[in-house]
Amino acid sequence: MKISRLRVDQFRRFRQPFELRDFDPGLNLFAGPNEAGKSTLVAALRAAFFERHRSGTVEHLRPWGDASAAPEVELDFELDGTPCRLSKRFLGKKRCTLQFGTRTLDGTEAEDFIAEQLGFAFAAKGSSKAEHWGIPGLLWMEQGSAQDIRAAVTHATDHLRTALNASLGEIAGGDGDDVTNEVERLRNELLTPSSDRPRGAYAEALQAEQSLREALAKVDDDLLAFRQKVDRLAQLRREHDADAAQRPWEDLRARAAAAATALREAQSLQERLLVEKRSAHSLAERADLLRQQLDRWAAEASDAQSRAEAVTTAQRALDDALALAAPWQQRERDAQTQHDAARRTLALARARDNRRALVRDLDELRHKGETLAATLAQAEAEQARQLALQAEVAALEIRAGDLNALRDQARQLRELDIRRTAIATRLRFALEAGRELRIGDAVLSGDGERLLLDATTLTLPGYGRLRIEPGGGDLAALAREAAELQDRHASALARLGLASLDAAEARQQQHAHKLSDLKAAQATLKALAPQGVDALRAEGAALAGRAAELRQRLTAQAEEGDDALPPVAEAEAAEDTARRALAEATRRLADARNGCTAAQAALDAAQRELIAARARLDDPARAQQLADTRIALTDALAQQEAAALRIDELARQLDAARPQALAQDVERYTRSAEQIERSFAQRRDALTVLEVELQAAGAQGLDERRAALARDHAAAERRAGQLARRAGALDLLLRKLRDKRHALTQRLQAPLQAHLNHYLGLLFPGARITLDDSLSPGPLTRDSAGGSESGEVDALSFGAREQMGVIARLAYADLLKEAGKPTLLILDDALVHSDDARLERMKRVLFDAAQRHQVLLFTCHPDKWRDMGVPVRTLEAAL
Amino acid sequence: MLRLLHTADWQIGRQYGQFDADEAALLAEARITAVERLAALATEQRVDLVLVAGDVFDAQGIADKTVLRLFNAMRGYAGPWAMIPGNHDAALSESVWTRAQRLNAVPDNVHLCLRPEPLQFDGLNAVVLPAPLTQRHTYNDLTDWFAAAETPAAAFRIGIAHGAVQGLLAEGIDSANPIAADRAVQARLDYLALGDWHGCRQVDARCWYSGTPETDRFRNNDSGRALIVDIDAPGAVPRVTPVDTGHYRWRSETATLQVASDVDALCALLGALAADDVLQLDIDGRTDLDGLKRIGDAITQARGRARAVLAELDRVRIEPTADDLERLAAEGYLGEVIADLRAAQDGADGDTARDALVLLAGLLDTRRAGVAR
Repeated sequence: MKISRLRVDQFRRFRQPFELRDFDPGLNLFAGPNEAGKSTLVAALRAAFFERHRSGTVEHLRPWGDASAAPEVELDFELDGTPCRLSKRFLGKKRCTLQFGTRTLDGTEAEDFIAEQLGFAFAAKGSSKAEHWGIPGLLWMEQGSAQDIRAAVTHATDHLRTALNASLGEIAGGDGDDVTNEVERLRNELLTPSSDRPRGAYAEALQAEQSLREALAKVDDDLLAFRQKVDRLAQLRREHDADAAQRPWEDLRARAAAAATALREAQSLQERLLVEKRSAHSLAERADLLRQQLDRWAAEASDAQSRAEAVTTAQRALDDALALAAPWQQRERDAQTQHDAARRTLALARARDNRRALVRDLDELRHKGETLAATLAQAEAEQARQLALQAEVAALEIRAGDLNALRDQARQLRELDIRRTAIATRLRFALEAGRELRIGDAVLSGDGERLLLDATTLTLPGYGRLRIEPGGGDLAALAREAAELQDRHASALARLGLASLDAAEARQQQHAHKLSDLKAAQATLKALAPQGVDALRAEGAALAGRAAELRQRLTAQAEEGDDALPPVAEAEAAEDTARRALAEATRRLADARNGCTAAQAALDAAQRELIAARARLDDPARAQQLADTRIALTDALAQQEAAALRIDELARQLDAARPQALAQDVERYTRSAEQIERSFAQRRDALTVLEVELQAAGAQGLDERRAALARDHAAAERRAGQLARRAGALDLLLRKLRDKRHALTQRLQAPLQAHLNHYLGLLFPGARITLDDSLSPGPLTRDSAGGSESGEVDALSFGAREQMGVIARLAYADLLKEAGKPTLLILDDALVHSDDARLERMKRVLFDAAQRHQVLLFTCHPDKWRDMGVPVRTLEAAL
Repeated sequence: MLRLLHTADWQIGRQYGQFDADEAALLAEARITAVERLAALATEQRVDLVLVAGDVFDAQGIADKTVLRLFNAMRGYAGPWAMIPGNHDAALSESVWTRAQRLNAVPDNVHLCLRPEPLQFDGLNAVVLPAPLTQRHTYNDLTDWFAAAETPAAAFRIGIAHGAVQGLLAEGIDSANPIAADRAVQARLDYLALGDWHGCRQVDARCWYSGTPETDRFRNNDSGRALIVDIDAPGAVPRVTPVDTGHYRWRSETATLQVASDVDALCALLGALAADDVLQLDIDGRTDLDGLKRIGDAITQARGRARAVLAELDRVRIEPTADDLERLAAEGYLGEVIADLRAAQDGADGDTARDALVLLAGLLDTRRAGVAR
């Protein structure tokens, strides 16, 4: 496919018609800065092919802001040698025409025709997307997407296969892949994909077979147990029947009975021996008793003798005691006498001391009486003085109210006087020497001053009289008041018998002095007679009474020889000594007398016992009893000997009979019989149990169940076997199919590989690349100094991946070309990430590809592409 | 004149593991219906006594239900039955017989001979001498006592035993449960009824194996019979008439496929099967895909018609012809796979390769059929 002309109108950046002519059949370089319209041209190419002209989702093709525009594209190209013209108008007056040689195709027909030729598809709905673009999507590299080869190849795979089958023949044809997928599905129903383990129906069949096998083994076990039990039942029945017939326990019972009889005989021997032993024992006891009786009688004889000796001893003891008592009687009487004398002396001494004390007391009393009398006299004198003072005080006393009234009156008088003076007429005079003046009786001379309180008549000798009357009535009133007050004052003084207030004050002073004297006199009296004078008098009387009494007592006791007597303390000590001596003598005498009494009692007792003992010895029956006892003793000893012989005989017999062994025999036989009988019963029970068990087990129909299980197991085994065979066959088939398919894919990949290696040699000398089943580039292997290294293309740098993407697409283009398919390569701003050295190599690659394919390269770096041998067409100029 | 019906080896409770469950159930059921037919036969033939010579049950552990069903099946004949235990149902201390008695399943006219004691039938003027097995296996001849058994002078002496007549059968020489070959004569028996051998077989003039009344295995041994025995008078030689009693016909066939007509023959054989047939088919040899398909179809058809068909095509080698391949239209690598598998049939794992080939052919066939539609 070679494009020769492209025309757009009302298309995005191109509001006006724009046309590019004279495309080179090989490389075409279009340069222009950003926004110059490169992308618009690429978009026009894509829209012309990929978008249905009827599409309603191509608004983006209109120039910006021109809602009524009808974007239009027209392309001239040749397809497999046939000239074609494709015209498309979108949105407004939608139209599509394809001129194919002489044929003209319209609308959808034209679109479908061109899609089949180029190997792409249309979107069923909406805008065309990458998955629809097919082979053009692979060969037309959009800006910045050249490196993403895998997705583009995937979208193109079907078209590639269709396209390539023509050149490679029908080897991949038919429905091999469908069959392979079907086989894989069937195989994976029975085996897990990765580990080949049974699954699904196969696993279930194996499981079913196994569980049936186990169930069968279980039933076999049960059956075996059942048969063993049946055998055991037969065995037990035989044993049971044998025992039931022979009854072995009966013989044992008989032997036990015989042994029991022998044992009873031996036991009677034992009892007899016991009786004999008991009687021998009582005989021995009787002999002992008899011997003791004889001993007692012998003892009685010697006892009488010792009683007589005891009487003698007691008599001697009595005599001794009596001898001891006699001297203590005399001693006791002496002590009594001495004690009486001491008592008398003591009484006398005490009387004398009493008398002396009385005399002393009397003296003291007398002295006290004298003192009291003196005090009394003093007190009486003081009492008299006190009475006199009391009288004086009473006479001098002025009542406090009276005195205060007087003082008040005096003060008022003074005040009145002052007031009168203040308002009185002041008369100053200065008389010449020798001259005088008289007022009333008073004669004034010299200089002076006089107050005139009332009308006063001045007599000027020689000149007559001057009457001066002080002005104002108050003075007269004051004078009246003063006179009245004076009267009252005078009457008050008169009532008290006093001349003046001063006299009153003096009397008051006097009274105070007397009062103080009275208080002193009262204190003195109080000191002398605290209880009063009468009390003193009573005390004096009491003292006198007591003295009289003492004198009387003194006179009542006669006094004699007092001085010869010892002091009282001495007399008391003597009396005490005498009393002790007397008590001692009395005690010793009593002791001696008690000794005598005891000795007498002992003697009496000894004499009584002696009499009794003598009485027993003299009993006439005694001799007969003694003789009888001796005979009885001899009898008992003889019997004892006979019993001992019998005991010996019985013991010998018993020893021979062995009763213990006999008892053991009885037990042994009895127990054996019981044991056998018990075993018999137990076996009978076991038989019952076993019969019941077997009946129950038999009812289960074990054999029939086993047969059924065996049948089911055989069926399960058959099914598992069939599935195993099927799984094996499917597995083998799948492997075969895959192997063959892989081999074929390899054959399909070979030419692509060759083309790829051609470009790879130009880009990375010495590198190899493998293709995977989807015809995408696989791991890249590069030889270097350190050996070869291998890695996925995806792991390379962006620049290298982009370069790989471009050369892979070129390889596909070559392959398609060989298959006679149309090719057109478009690179929109590709390889911008390549460094200079790598870009140089890529130019070589592109130049080489352009020898076989038309290549449209859009760039915004025209200077980088000046060495491609073709002119760089700038779009700027075109606009 | 005494008329006996002699039968044996009923093997009640037997299961058939080699068949599918439904077929096996029907074959097991057939054993009970065979007994019903025997009862009907005895009534119809007015026999005096039915002798059942052991292996009445296939095992001791038969379900109660089955035991009851058996004795029910015998009600069609009201005359006397005398039966002995065989090696499968020996009269052990606990056995299917004791259970049957406990279940009150045994009708009064059925005489279980569990001990070797003469059984007198006064009305028939006959004494039956039984030799029951009381252990699973015995190496003594249990019929030894027959000779010494005293019977009324003018009574029929009828023996009944279960085991291998010595010297008669290949495996009977040192097998368990031996029976002396001349026992009938030696014990002055009018007739000795034997069981154990499933085919009908005469031992001598007075001694027969009746065989099982309903065939239970493929080995062709003249089974599915019972014997009517007529004895005119004590001492007279009996007249023995075999009667067919079996329902199912058991057959075992082999087919080796070599040429196309072998396939035709096999298809014809399968096509001729009837409802009562039980067939075991052994196929080997080789054929093409078409032949294989025809045989497969024929077997499927036969299974629908006959009682049971046991047949496997596993051992048939597949030789696809050019026609086969063309019909399959195995294009691309599928053709190569077919060629590979075809060759691998002779290799180490040939069976798998063969199966894989059949599978692939089947898949392609289905696809082609789908496309054709």
